[in-house]
Amino acid sequence: MNADTILEVRGLVKQFGDHRVIDGVSVGVTRGEVVFLLGPSGAGKSTVMRCMNFLETPTGGEVLFHGQPVDRSENGLNHYRAKVGMVFQHFNLFANLTILDNITLAPVKSGLMTRTEAETQALHLLHRIGLHDKARAYPSQLSGGQKQRVAIVRALAMNPEVLLFDEPTSALDPEMVGEVENLMRELAKDGMTMLVVSHDTDFAMELADRIVFLADGKVVVDAPPSVISASDNSRIRDFFSLR
Amino acid sequence: MPGIVYKKWLAVMLAFMALFFTACGEKEAERSKLIMVTNATFPPYEFYQGSSIVGIDADMVREIAKRNDLELVIEDMAFDSVIAAVQTGKADVAASGITVTEDRKKQIDFTTSYVKADQVIIVREGSSIVGPADLKGKRVGVQHGTTGDMYMTENIQEPERFQDGALAVASLVTGKIDAVVLDSAPSEEHVARNKGLVILPESLVSEEYAMAISKSRPELLAMFNKTMAEMKADGTMSAIWARYLDADGKPLAVPAVPEEEKGLWKRMQDSFQTNFVKDNRWKYLVNGFLVTIEISACAVLMGLCIGFLVAVVRSAHDQTGRYKVLNFLCHIYLTVVRGTPVVVQLLIIYFVIFGSVDVSKVLVAIVAFGVNSGAYVAEIIRSGIMAVDSGQMEAGRSLGLSYGTTMRSVILPQAFKNVLPALGNEFIVLLKETSVCGYIALQDLTKGGDIIRSQTYDAFLPLIAVALTYLVVVVCLSQLLKKLENYLKKNER
Repeated sequence: MNADTILEVRGLVKQFGDHRVIDGVSVGVTRGEVVFLLGPSGAGKSTVMRCMNFLETPTGGEVLFHGQPVDRSENGLNHYRAKVGMVFQHFNLFANLTILDNITLAPVKSGLMTRTEAETQALHLLHRIGLHDKARAYPSQLSGGQKQRVAIVRALAMNPEVLLFDEPTSALDPEMVGEVENLMRELAKDGMTMLVVSHDTDFAMELADRIVFLADGKVVVDAPPSVISASDNSRIRDFFSLR
Repeated sequence: MPGIVYKKWLAVMLAFMALFFTACGEKEAERSKLIMVTNATFPPYEFYQGSSIVGIDADMVREIAKRNDLELVIEDMAFDSVIAAVQTGKADVAASGITVTEDRKKQIDFTTSYVKADQVIIVREGSSIVGPADLKGKRVGVQHGTTGDMYMTENIQEPERFQDGALAVASLVTGKIDAVVLDSAPSEEHVARNKGLVILPESLVSEEYAMAISKSRPELLAMFNKTMAEMKADGTMSAIWARYLDADGKPLAVPAVPEEEKGLWKRMQDSFQTNFVKDNRWKYLVNGFLVTIEISACAVLMGLCIGFLVAVVRSAHDQTGRYKVLNFLCHIYLTVVRGTPVVVQLLIIYFVIFGSVDVSKVLVAIVAFGVNSGAYVAEIIRSGIMAVDSGQMEAGRSLGLSYGTTMRSVILPQAFKNVLPALGNEFIVLLKETSVCGYIALQDLTKGGDIIRSQTYDAFLPLIAVALTYLVVVVCLSQLLKKLENYLKKNER
């Protein structure tokens, strides 16, 4: 990995009982890069991502941020997570808070901004995704696509150095996938560093700088889309429906 | 830092409780007090006249207190608790028509006995029971803890035990039992007030009354005996007796049983008049209602605070593995409190935990019901926390928020809304559970009804009035909760 690597896991192992879900995975993402984690169901994509910000505790291996092992103390983790945004498959917007409060809660509570600053920023972000009129609405009043876009904005409000997307469009109705993908395209164009777990091979081929193909808890290939499409590995060809 | 935050909550909680203690424990002692306990359902020895307790025992102790320059406080409680109250130091003397027995002598000291009394048998006119020998196999009512109870239990059979004599007599009148064994003097009163009852000429057993004083207070016993001897010598004793009994030992001033048959409506009107209007008896209900509300409201608050803390500790332990010791303590608390009846807890807190401290009974009740309710509230809130989608916590943590912050800002508000119906139910249960306060002589709503019943010998209207009052409060409470639920629901879904 080069010097600009922001987030990296080395030799990651995750074991649930006797079952080894992740078996020595090493993945990294450099500044401004968009990396997709692809692979069949049960390959361990989401687990790798959840280990990256310690929603799952890794059984073995290292998680490095700017080349340094992450401080796993309570405080250390809170600081680290503030810089590593995460977008969930099921949005996980705070059901008891308005859209505006969903976005401002973390920056205000973590002392990053004053309430006024946070609200100004939140309204600006909402304006950008065309949902400023929903600022006072509650999550339940939004469509799935709107919820996911708000969830992305909520992560952005902490000014993270890298954004993790855990199957961001899998829980959406097909007609709502587009609006979320468009927002992700915009972020990529703005130079946001992104790591995306996805099933959507077409979207990955279009947006990714690099694709990491996982199977059975191991990295099968880690290469740019052009290399993937030229691959003669039958497993990869099947997965990407390449003829 | 969640640890610090919880400590802060704990501090607030403790301050809250300290406030209770000082607010309720502030009793200025200008003059030394003499606390007498009795069960004021025992005319002519002790009974309510208006809001004060009078009768031979009460007047006698009042005179003893006066002669020794003591301020007399009379507390009314269940008869089976008066001796325990003296033993534990909750009271100085028990004067409640207590019969001298060998068993009781082991527990407490008796003053000189001041009257010979009989345990007599009351039956309905024309009953097949004509003497003590006929009691075997019949349904016989007694007042719980009296010598009538003991004699029946030891020598004849298990009787039906009532909280007071009036209830036993009321059951006899309605045919629920066949006979009542009771002390002779109150029996005279009961028979005079209830048509169709007679006292059998042959009494069950003869005995003596005396007052009970703790074995650790010989100086108090000596004082009582000395003053009683003086009162006997100067004629005060007989004067007190003459206030309540005529020369033949028959009670004075007992209202005659109305002879003529009246219409139902007229009877209801009269009954209403006697039970609520006469002697301002409605005040028992109003004051009792206020006590019930005071205890319930404070206990609910206390239960919420305790329940909240316990639920958070338990959930934090389940989710993060922290607070092992605290969690263990919480677990013991839940097991003990949920595993024992609230009446037993109330009595333990009154007689054992606060046994040697002089605290207000309202405080005791608040603590007992607060601690009891806390255990149930804890599990209700914990279930609410568990029901919140785990993604909510993950989202909070992924943004760099601490466990505590996420809990407070995201999880608990949702959990609270989830459990509001269950919490409301718990509050309703609590409100009604406070009706056992009478066990420690607190005059709550139920006890207020009991006092009216003991004065008017009428079970129907006081009970209905008490039931209706609870019902109205519960209906109002349900409506309020429904409003709150709707208000919270408005925000989502």
